[in-house]
Amino acid sequence: MASETDYVTLISNDGFSFLVQRSSARISPVIKRMLDPNGAFMEAKDNTCTLQNINGIVLEKVCEYLYYNEKHKDASDVPDMDFPTELCLELLMASDYLNI
Amino acid sequence: MSGRRGGNRIRGPQSALTDFLAANNISAAQIRDDYERRRREAEQDAGNAGEGPSNAATEQTEDEALAVAAQAEEAEKKSKKRKRTEEEAIDKIKKAKATKKGKGKGKKKGKKDDLDDDNDDDADYDDDFGMYKKAKPVPGQLEHCDICNKRFTVTPYSKEGPDGGLLCAPCGKELSKDLKKEQRAVTKAASTGKKRRKVESDRLDGIAVGGAKSLSQLCIQKVAQHHDDIEELGDLPQSVLERLSEIFSKKRVMKSKTLPLFLRPDLDSVVVHDAAYLEEEDYQQIFAIVPNVRKLVLSNTCQLKDGAIDYMLERCHDLRHIQLYAANLVQEGMWHRLFREAGAKLEVLKLKWLDAAFEDLVVRDMVKYCPNLERLKLKLCRRLGEDAVVSISDLPELKHLSLQISQDVSTPTLVNLIEKRGSGLQTLSLEKFIDADDSVLEAIHENCTQLSKLRLSENDTVTDAGYTALFTDWDNWPLTFADFNSTRDIDNNNSEGPEDAIGLASSGFRALMEHSGAALKHLNIASCRHIELSAFMDVFNGAQNYPLLEHINLSFCNRADTSVVAGIFKSCPALKQLVAFGCFDVQDVVVPRNVALIGVPRAQDAIEQFGIGIGVDEAISRMVEVAA
Repeated sequence: MASETDYVTLISNDGFSFLVQRSSARISPVIKRMLDPNGAFMEAKDNTCTLQNINGIVLEKVCEYLYYNEKHKDASDVPDMDFPTELCLELLMASDYLNI
Repeated sequence: MSGRRGGNRIRGPQSALTDFLAANNISAAQIRDDYERRRREAEQDAGNAGEGPSNAATEQTEDEALAVAAQAEEAEKKSKKRKRTEEEAIDKIKKAKATKKGKGKGKKKGKKDDLDDDNDDDADYDDDFGMYKKAKPVPGQLEHCDICNKRFTVTPYSKEGPDGGLLCAPCGKELSKDLKKEQRAVTKAASTGKKRRKVESDRLDGIAVGGAKSLSQLCIQKVAQHHDDIEELGDLPQSVLERLSEIFSKKRVMKSKTLPLFLRPDLDSVVVHDAAYLEEEDYQQIFAIVPNVRKLVLSNTCQLKDGAIDYMLERCHDLRHIQLYAANLVQEGMWHRLFREAGAKLEVLKLKWLDAAFEDLVVRDMVKYCPNLERLKLKLCRRLGEDAVVSISDLPELKHLSLQISQDVSTPTLVNLIEKRGSGLQTLSLEKFIDADDSVLEAIHENCTQLSKLRLSENDTVTDAGYTALFTDWDNWPLTFADFNSTRDIDNNNSEGPEDAIGLASSGFRALMEHSGAALKHLNIASCRHIELSAFMDVFNGAQNYPLLEHINLSFCNRADTSVVAGIFKSCPALKQLVAFGCFDVQDVVVPRNVALIGVPRAQDAIEQFGIGIGVDEAISRMVEVAA
């Protein structure tokens, strides 16, 4: 059982890996459950989540969103995060999967 | 006049005008000076004021000068007239240009008044000095630019400079660029005001209280923004698709072009909340592409006609849920046919805003052919009345009933309905049955044991005692949704209501919360103004705990004050939204985290106040400090 590290890894389906803070990653309930040390998932052991249906470009934006969300958690009148329109639909599918 | 030069002393008869002037002590010298000045200007004009040189006038004697002056005056009058017509022409052009500019600027919203005033002032100013301005040269002629003094050819497109003269092409371009920048700056000032309102409006839609929006929300917004460019929505899951169709409907872009994005053969539901732009072919397209549709939701379907329904009945054999709002072009015969052919499998039927074609007879047919109907919502169907309610009482599987019938329905009929169907009902919503009285509540008390959602709104006959009796010793389990808005006495001469309160009042309210407090999620007691402060304090006093209560609406309950709101924050840990329009004793509220307070008026505050990241206890202690 590895101890709770500060950072976790998210891997896309085309091999890109992103190192993000655990606190940000847990904004997504799906990832949170995967990394839960009390659960029996393999991901919890190596602190790594492989997301088979999200590709690298989209996952990068997702990580950006996780940080943006944590940074503005208690603020009001937050400016919207910007992202290119082409990514829009894939990002929508990813956000629906990750429930964020 | 040239003949008079050289000191010829022969004088002819003087004009009547000269005599008159002399009689009125008008000095010839003055006239001479004026005349000379005007002549000089006339020379600067297009050169057709060919009166002789001014030198001669100075040499003549006074008398001659007078005579000369008289003649000169007449000539001058003519030139004046010419100039006047020229001036008028110039003025007309100027005015036309000023109004055009004013109109053009007026189209754009913003703080235009200052600019318009300046324009008008300038125009007036210019008018006074009109006669000193240069006349506008005709296109084709050479002119000097007002700004850079370069020579250029006048065209119909030459811009007018700030002094009224014309500008050469480059200077003209510069001027219009500057003008455009000004206009853009003004519109920007206006639109920043709109942005804040939009932010607040978006927040209310997503009920996102503070913090960032969810990624799904951001993406959906972007998709709706670029709806024109999307060709296909790919493999989005059904829930996301429904959410997208909601946003498209809200932005009124659900049209023939965007509709196909939401139609896929593998879907089993078609949800379009705003079908106002859809036409006959679009409806046929829906049924052609999605023949296995089980849930059909079309709101604002003003253009839905018999032909489309006919095609639907032909293609779609699996319809379970039909929701058609405002389908007014469907004829009576087609409704009968719809129920006959598709009625057997129908489980959910929701119809609103129907008119002449939907009458009690149709409801009777519906009941006859749809034995499996579990959910029925009939609102705002103008022709339905007592008979419809009688027919509905015979639906065997009815679990959820929602009625709003504009014609009079007698109380015994309602009681009969509840007696027959009450035991199976989980939802009962009776809106605007103004004359329903305590016997209806008694019937509910006796017959309903499975209700989880109860609404009895806009009624002014049921008494508080009736409500108390309903909620005391009721076999029903606790309600999750209670809506008794606008139950109160309407008598303009007696605003306090009668001694025995009408509508949900103090004891009824206490009994309601006693019975259902543990499970209640939505509470709507708007306009129940006979509820006293003591009842509010008893119910929401911090000691009681309502663990599931999320939405409260106590608008226009004018006895509620700040301590009640504080109590609500304390007693309802799961609270998300508190609506309190018209509660004037509620002031200086500090809103805790995750709570949206809507409608508490103070001129400076926003109409919605969102929790600012502090806990409930801290919020309450701050409120106490402020009050103290």
